[in-house]
Amino acid sequence: MTESSFESGRYLYCVVQLPETEPTEFSTTGVDGEQTYVLTVGEIGVVVHECNALYDTSDVDLVRKWLLEHQNVIDTAGERFGTPIPFRFDTILRGDDERVRTWLESEQDTFTSHLDAMAGCWEYRIDVQRDEAALEEELSNDEQLVELEERIAESTAGTSHLLEKQYEQRFETLKQQQRADRTAALTEQLRPMVRDLQDLGQKPAALAPADETDETVTREARLAVLAHEEQQRNVDELLDEVAADPGVEIRYTGPWPPYTFTPTIEANDSNPDTA
Amino acid sequence: MTQIDIDGESARDGLMTLVMTVVELLVDVMEREAIRRMESGDLTDEEIERVGTQFAALEAEIESIKEDEEIDEPVDQLRERLDGLVADAVRTVDEPPQQGYSHNPIEDD
Repeated sequence: MTESSFESGRYLYCVVQLPETEPTEFSTTGVDGEQTYVLTVGEIGVVVHECNALYDTSDVDLVRKWLLEHQNVIDTAGERFGTPIPFRFDTILRGDDERVRTWLESEQDTFTSHLDAMAGCWEYRIDVQRDEAALEEELSNDEQLVELEERIAESTAGTSHLLEKQYEQRFETLKQQQRADRTAALTEQLRPMVRDLQDLGQKPAALAPADETDETVTREARLAVLAHEEQQRNVDELLDEVAADPGVEIRYTGPWPPYTFTPTIEANDSNPDTA
Repeated sequence: MTQIDIDGESARDGLMTLVMTVVELLVDVMEREAIRRMESGDLTDEEIERVGTQFAALEAEIESIKEDEEIDEPVDQLRERLDGLVADAVRTVDEPPQQGYSHNPIEDD
């Protein structure tokens, strides 16, 4: 037995709001082919499967498969019950169904208020990319850049090396400024349409395919928004407008469960040994 | 995080990648300083030419070492990651991120 295994545990997928009238049966295939089911307390439920070890491997393909299976359960639960509060992959509670219920009971108010707040809202990912050539074309009229170009043409090798570096620096600065300005403008337009918004920065997505770094485009913004179903059309239209600009490509995905906007559920003594 | 393997066959490559990345960053900083001085009029034309020539030679040397060691790509990747870290750190200082955990949905395509 290793530290990552235990007698009995429950793998947690997400917490959902149960429908008042319909039956609450729910079952789908979860991580590693396990059968999932719902444990209920009052009007909320948690989707789980039985397990006795952590899901730990160095095989990246297997991790990817597990993550997709994890995500698939949460998606299915979302379709069935409405916006779920997702748990991170490999969140495990040691103990049996009763233990999970006890814990859910103690956190019921917290979950209920978060579920109410997020009802009908879904997460969308917006990845704005700009064509490098179009960007260069646009910036090449900058006065300082034009002047530097002239000086480079008149200089001897050593001096022109420094001037070329200066040109590159100026160009980078302009590019970053423009990126920041455009992101700020887009964010401002999105704000009134969305419940919440987060700038995800330049960090690559987990398990992003390696071929994603394309040298001919520059990532301008990577945002996650939490939008109500009723607002989705407005967001769609705004992004269509932005994408109509030549040289702009938008990768727009969703609806996702609110992964980015899930609150941290406070841990206290009565809480589970989540792994 | 990028891991630098210090054990086994790839130890040398990992170390070379790290060293060359640091050298490149240093040269960048020095070049910036040289440009700043050039623009502020601190340097004579001869000095500018000499400094520029030295930097050009230094850069050519770095490129040839990277090529010989076949670490062109790893160095670029490490720099990119460092740039990303710095950019995100600066942003975090500007605007503290919200609490909560982030899970990146994966598109099954």
